[in-house]
Amino acid sequence: MSNPYYPYDTYNVVYDLGFEVYQFLGGIVAWLIDLILPGNPVSEWLMSDAVVNAFSIIILALVIFLVIFVGVLISLWEERKVLGRFMDRRGTMVGMKGFMQCVADGLKTFMKENTMPKKIDKMTYMWTVSLIIGTSVLVACMLPLSDRFFIVNFDSGLLIVMALYALAPFFILVSGWSQNNKYSLIGGMRAAESMISYEIPMLIIVCSVAVLSGTFNIGGIVAAQNESMWYIIPLFVGFIVFFTCSCAESERSPFDLAEAEAELVEGWQTEYAGMKWGLIMLGDYLRGFASCAMISIMFLGGWNVAPFASDAVNGFLPEVVQLLKGWFVFFIMIWVRVALPRVRIDQILNLGWKVFMPLSVVNLAIAVLLKVGGVF
Amino acid sequence: MMVVENTIDTFDSPSEERIAKDRYQTDAMWIYMGPQHPFSHGLWTLKVRVDGEIVTDAEPVIGYLHRGWEKEAENREYPKIIPMADRLCYSASMTYTHLYCMTVEKALGIEVPEKAEYIRIVADEICRIQSHLMWLAAVGTDLGNLTIFLWGMREREYWLDLNVRLCGQRMTTNYPRIGGVRNDTTDIFDRDVMRCTERFEKALWDLIDMIDSSSIYVSRMKGISRLTREQCANLGVTGPAMRGCGVDFDLRRDDPYGKYENIDFEVPVLTEGDTYARYMVRIEEMFQSCEIIRQAVRKINALGKNAPYRLKVPSKVPAGKAFCKLEDPRGESLMYLISDGTDKPFRLKVRAPLFTNISASRPMVKGVRVADVPAVMAMIDVCMGETDR
Amino acid sequence: MPIKYLDKYPKNPARSLWVLKPMWVSLRLFFRTVRHRPVTILYPYEKEWIPDNYRGRPGLRFDKCVGCGVCSRMCPTGCIKMVEVADDDGKMVMRPQVFVGRCAFCGYCAEYCPVNAMTVTPEYELAELFKEDMFYGPRRLNFKDTTPGMEVHLEVTLQSDIDAGSPEKRYHPHEIDKPVVDEDACIGCKKCQKVCPVDAVEMVEKGLNAKGKPKLVPLFDPKKCICCNNCVIDCPKDAIHIEEVL
Repeated sequence: MSNPYYPYDTYNVVYDLGFEVYQFLGGIVAWLIDLILPGNPVSEWLMSDAVVNAFSIIILALVIFLVIFVGVLISLWEERKVLGRFMDRRGTMVGMKGFMQCVADGLKTFMKENTMPKKIDKMTYMWTVSLIIGTSVLVACMLPLSDRFFIVNFDSGLLIVMALYALAPFFILVSGWSQNNKYSLIGGMRAAESMISYEIPMLIIVCSVAVLSGTFNIGGIVAAQNESMWYIIPLFVGFIVFFTCSCAESERSPFDLAEAEAELVEGWQTEYAGMKWGLIMLGDYLRGFASCAMISIMFLGGWNVAPFASDAVNGFLPEVVQLLKGWFVFFIMIWVRVALPRVRIDQILNLGWKVFMPLSVVNLAIAVLLKVGGVF
Repeated sequence: MMVVENTIDTFDSPSEERIAKDRYQTDAMWIYMGPQHPFSHGLWTLKVRVDGEIVTDAEPVIGYLHRGWEKEAENREYPKIIPMADRLCYSASMTYTHLYCMTVEKALGIEVPEKAEYIRIVADEICRIQSHLMWLAAVGTDLGNLTIFLWGMREREYWLDLNVRLCGQRMTTNYPRIGGVRNDTTDIFDRDVMRCTERFEKALWDLIDMIDSSSIYVSRMKGISRLTREQCANLGVTGPAMRGCGVDFDLRRDDPYGKYENIDFEVPVLTEGDTYARYMVRIEEMFQSCEIIRQAVRKINALGKNAPYRLKVPSKVPAGKAFCKLEDPRGESLMYLISDGTDKPFRLKVRAPLFTNISASRPMVKGVRVADVPAVMAMIDVCMGETDR
Repeated sequence: MPIKYLDKYPKNPARSLWVLKPMWVSLRLFFRTVRHRPVTILYPYEKEWIPDNYRGRPGLRFDKCVGCGVCSRMCPTGCIKMVEVADDDGKMVMRPQVFVGRCAFCGYCAEYCPVNAMTVTPEYELAELFKEDMFYGPRRLNFKDTTPGMEVHLEVTLQSDIDAGSPEKRYHPHEIDKPVVDEDACIGCKKCQKVCPVDAVEMVEKGLNAKGKPKLVPLFDPKKCICCNNCVIDCPKDAIHIEEVL
């Protein structure tokens, strides 16, 4: 890249796209201003390297957010259709086989009245929603879709993703308290405690994957799997545990205490109306999508089609491959939702601490043994 | 532990004693699983007193659906009460109309022709299967799985189609008449019924597999909410809830009405007394109902096309008292008729099984976690139409 | 009689596999609904087939109706009212008008109609925008494709027939019940002749009344009478009652 401010070490196709777009648009603006007032400093400044870089980054962020957003919408549509077929009915039918229905639902939620109870704690009420959504979007966007489609390329990439993922329970707890409703408080505490207890096995399994691949860098993990084999084979126990824990983290059935109206009377989302609730739902799906992407990166080989496939095949549209793998894992999550009832809260905690944590430690032991034994 | 009570109005329980006691205990609180509850199967309130997570007391509040049924019945001639009896409980409509017709026939002192009795048995058992399927659908939803709801309703549609072939309507069928039934069965009715029972016996295993083979479901049903035999007898609980607790009594076998004495079937009884036992009793009852239907249909075929199915009855019932009992899908229902020689009843009293079963909710729910309360109440198959009348 | 479920299932071995059996069962159904279609009927584009005897809204065959009012009396919700309309020749006759909004679809009007003019119809899509549109007048009640299967026949068997050994005989109640007049109470007002819809009443002279003038009493034609109870209800002295044969 000719631009001295180029922020990345490797090639980033979205930056390229942003660069070209800004050259086009900014160039038109600068040329127009130049026509009216020839030789002015604003046009020069608009096309200088630093400003070009800044705007390219902005467009990069926008493009990545839009792609992830559409990906999440597609996973929402997939859920509704697949759920329908499992239950012997059709899913949504209106508009492009039902996709437009999801968009229409979002618009409808947007237009609802924004009611707020009187005696709530306003600051925490507003801020926790934004923080929950914000961290969910952040987590979803931080996962790259391929070697060249990323927004950051940290060496400790997966660890940072997990750290941001883990912020949500605190915000849920505070938002449950801020609603001034004893049932929402109970709901918030339950959701927070189940999410916190399920994050620990997830972290341990992330560590075991990093042990096998030697790095936390997401690109590095995918490349390591391309050389040996998909990590689902040696770390099958870890796959199952991580999958179940991410179901719990995204508050999906069978762990969906927040939506368990029959059991709890209310959850922590009750007093949120209109678009706030819509964004919370979207945040749920974003987290589900992010965990599916993480599973596909860590266990299913990421954006490479297969370890034995040639480089040309692996390099052809890796973003689509990664998205498809993510949606396949989401299909399994939907399947689990269809088949299983809700687990009671004390049973959830039992499972999390007494079953999944020992299993994840076992998984770590297997990974360490394999690494020390020289297999990987 | 955050102090939560002073931020919202705390609703205390209604009686003064309990209000006084509660003020000194700040750990327990009353939760209203109120009339506007997504899965309470009808309009009623269950107030539970919760100590942490365990329920220590409960109080059901009913009456939201009271329509004055018994009073309305005093103003109508006898045939016009049959559509009203249909609507006592829409999923058990055949059994209530059958019960009403039996009561009036007893007051008149007439004997219904044999073919009509067997057709009524078939209709009753179809009603029982259809009601149990709706219960199964509700159980799945209460425990958090919508799949079973849709599959259960799909199965139920096949049985409702049989109702349509029989009399023209799916649910409030208005089929039994005083003196028999409304119309004869069609020529192909036996073929339809046999096909339906064969298909059902295979398809029900899918539904059962979803529940019984899933350790999550069973762990949420086993060992929850035990009732002993003595408690059942003292509280007046009847029906599958009672048979799950070890009381071996079924009106169809022990006090037969209609022509049930000629039908050979088994009554499932289990002794554990928990929610899982009540669930198992109802599933087995569905299989046994299939068997009963097959035998009754063979007897109808044997009686032939020309056998009488409806008797002419006088429009005025002689003065007297009569009562009849019947095994409803939910328990034992009873109707008591006092007639005064005119063509309208003087007093018609209905004993709905759910009224007593719901009032037994207090010992059923004590000691159970809050999250299990909907599951426990779903097991007695609440239908508020007959409770409130 | 083998107990099928209780034998097998309390010790279900699949439970030890935690949740694998339900997942397999649902996956099987998923493959079935993807290959074939699901059981959903895409209403309103596809509609379910309805048999003839389906009890939708009531239907009336205007030409057959005699305006007796039995349907109006038997309706449990009281949604049928007899109104005066002009028939095909311009004469004003009483015909039923149904308030479909209150109709319970019980089929009593079709069942008790003595001439089978009221039928059941398979029409169930009855939503309207205004309440006034829910009142179906006698002409609107007509259902175009009325088939014989839509009539509901009331056939009863007499206990005396069963005792006599011929249980296959079936009658409509109006073929055997006949009105009987108490001639002492009758004042000869001829009201029964006016309200009879089928002209089954003929006033004949019989005996002398208290003042010594000849008295008119009704004579009922058993072949024409449909036991609509109009004369019983309208007699000012309650002199007529229907003699029920059992």
